[in-house]
Amino acid sequence: MRTAAQLEACGPLQARPAGRQGLIAAAAVISLLALLPLFNLFWQALFNGSASTPALGVDGADQIRGTLLLVLGEGLSGAVLGTAIGWLTAMCRFPGRRWLRVAQLLPMAVPAYLSSASLIDWGSHHGLRIHGIGWTIALMTLANYSYVVLLSTESFGISGLRLLEASRSLGVGPWRSFFRVALPIALPAVGAGVALSAMEVVNELGAVRLLGVPSLSAGILDRWQIDGDPKGAALLSLVALAIVAVLVAVERRLRQRSRRWSLAGSSAQQPLWVLQGWRAWLALLVCALPPLAALLIPGLWVIEGWQNLSVGAFRELLPLAARSLGLALAATGITLVAALLLAVVRRWCSGPALQQLSFVAGLGYAVPGSVLALGLIVLGGPLALGPLLLLLWGYGDRFLAVSKQGLDAAFERLPPSVDEAAISLGQSWQGVLQRVHLPLLRGPLLVGALLVFVDVVKELPLTLSLRPFDFDTLAVRVFQYASDERVGAAMAPALLIMLFGLIAAAALIPSLERR
Amino acid sequence: MALAQAQSRPGEVNVYSGRHYNTDKALYAAFTRRTGIRVNLLEGKDDELIQRLKSEGSNSKADLLVLVDAARLVRAQQDNLFRPISSRELNKDVPANLRDPGGRWYALTRRARPVMVNAALVNPRLIRTYADLARPELKGKLCLRNRASVYNQSLVADELVRRGAPSTRLWLRGLVANNQQPLFTSDTPMLRAVGQGQCGVTIANQYYLARLLQSDNSADRAVAQKVRVVWPDPTHVNVTAGGVTRSSRNPDGARRLLEFLASPTSGEGYAEANNEYPLRGWGNNPTLRAFGTFKASPVSMQQLGQRNREAVQLMTQAGWN
Repeated sequence: MRTAAQLEACGPLQARPAGRQGLIAAAAVISLLALLPLFNLFWQALFNGSASTPALGVDGADQIRGTLLLVLGEGLSGAVLGTAIGWLTAMCRFPGRRWLRVAQLLPMAVPAYLSSASLIDWGSHHGLRIHGIGWTIALMTLANYSYVVLLSTESFGISGLRLLEASRSLGVGPWRSFFRVALPIALPAVGAGVALSAMEVVNELGAVRLLGVPSLSAGILDRWQIDGDPKGAALLSLVALAIVAVLVAVERRLRQRSRRWSLAGSSAQQPLWVLQGWRAWLALLVCALPPLAALLIPGLWVIEGWQNLSVGAFRELLPLAARSLGLALAATGITLVAALLLAVVRRWCSGPALQQLSFVAGLGYAVPGSVLALGLIVLGGPLALGPLLLLLWGYGDRFLAVSKQGLDAAFERLPPSVDEAAISLGQSWQGVLQRVHLPLLRGPLLVGALLVFVDVVKELPLTLSLRPFDFDTLAVRVFQYASDERVGAAMAPALLIMLFGLIAAAALIPSLERR
Repeated sequence: MALAQAQSRPGEVNVYSGRHYNTDKALYAAFTRRTGIRVNLLEGKDDELIQRLKSEGSNSKADLLVLVDAARLVRAQQDNLFRPISSRELNKDVPANLRDPGGRWYALTRRARPVMVNAALVNPRLIRTYADLARPELKGKLCLRNRASVYNQSLVADELVRRGAPSTRLWLRGLVANNQQPLFTSDTPMLRAVGQGQCGVTIANQYYLARLLQSDNSADRAVAQKVRVVWPDPTHVNVTAGGVTRSSRNPDGARRLLEFLASPTSGEGYAEANNEYPLRGWGNNPTLRAFGTFKASPVSMQQLGQRNREAVQLMTQAGWN
């Protein structure tokens, strides 16, 4: 057991605000809530039930290899694509830049299981087999590169602008400025984005099943539900956790190596490089293709298969949408508050135990949603918690990492002197948070909120497993229809999910385009 | 008399269902009108519903569990999720091989998994049984869905029961040798591939072809017209079935809903929703009538479920991924 002094060991900050005990307690409770379902489940799986030793099983090695390949493939292509687009839309001027910047959020609103189902279906009309790891990497990159764009664009836009101006005034061109100045500064944000997108990949279920790629997420579920082998499932879950832990460690390492501080929004943001001629066209193409593809995949299906769009489905859309919206808003609120508290604790109390606490609290993101759902069901029965409460708990657990990643990265760019000034003026931690951090971190908070909102609207396994009777959501409907191979009926609710994503993206424009 | 009883104890029945058809809701509404019992519905994937019920234990609110495929029914039964009920009506309406001998679950609709052929590429006369799909003449022409498909697992279990493990093992090796394409993950694209001539022959559930034939999309109809149903002798049949849950607080209401859904009049509606066959005969669905009739495999649903694990093992050993 660590002593209180160790817990409160000082990080980069020299002064710390008063009243941190309450804060630490809150963070501990959040972490406990986040860990409880997982811990309980592993405990049950490993120490209860049959005496057999857990084994990887016949398909285990294939499933691990499949997931590793996907993570590597998607991570690399997502990093390159996301960073390129983040840089172009944040720092360069070319026709359509403003629109394209917002459009980068669109692909996130198209669930990977939907784009896979509609692309497979469309392909099969034209004699094209959409199948295997290559297609999966491409579709997963498309679904997840926006994480990298969002986080890196924030970072390109607000940090090191003066350094960039300086490097430009020294006559350094955009390429060299990018590689020597901007990229090192943005690396933590890029790393955070890649880590997030890779975790989505580890967790993806519908798309990998449809595209026929063996994966840990499917393996865990099958071992658990079909083979009735919770120990094997727990073992595979641990492998998935290990992969995610490595991802997070790499991301942290990157972040530590490039710690810079800057005041968010302190500098007016102007695109620094004006692109002309073929360069402008190339930039336009690079930035326009992914959102276009994300729209076009279901779009092509709608254009060719509109006769199959089921009209009966439109009538149920309103209640479905209302439920999706309500759940997403509630979950976003809960998740943001929890993430903010954890981030603040990380900033003010850098004792190793607390640092780890904040890290493990985000692990819910790494566990397949269906496994998390089981953990919650096992917990929820004896605690007599209503299904909706369990569902919100699940969302919070699952998406804490999403809002936390961005916030942590943003906090690290905020110079400690800001806190110290406020504390020396007698502010408590609530005061510093309210008057200093919140206004300065409006951008990252909004980005986090948007990510969680869109994630919850399209979230599937938790909603599917935990919702109460007669409480279907848009995503649930899309999946049910798509898994019955009725893509036509799935399309109407799917279009609404995309619409929600667009609205959420539009809400973000002012923050991205702040002058 | 039944009505009076219902009004005195209206109650509610909570259904966990692996089916997702909007027309089901009309049937549930009809049940409510007749009995006064409200039906609350939670639709999901079958395996997930089983797991949910298992985890909820005695706290579960579900009264009726409706599942697709014998393998899952027997899994739920082995997990002790059903309670045995006795009902003269159910015993009359549901043939013996389509229900659990212990009265824990009863079939509601039937589906068949025949062979589907592009006659331009494969002579339909070549195939009289599933065993014929392993003939060397079909090398490179056979397309298959993957091992994860419970429909295929049950088909293999059917062969296993009828022909024994050694023959099934040989047969599976032949199938895998004849299959040249990456395995499909769903039936519909596979049927299109047959219609387009990329595959000559496949095995698929009849309702997928019926759906394509009824599609509002003319291209789909045209492709489906090129696919011919070949009924092997005997044809593998599977079911959608329901059972009253062990945790049910309204087992009486759940049993009545089950009786209602299994009755010939409502059962037809339940089958119609997904182009399935009623429990007896071939129904009045014109698309299905055009497929002709078949001789159903005598293997019981109970046997299919019990041999599932063994079937999956044989498939794995044969390299069916």
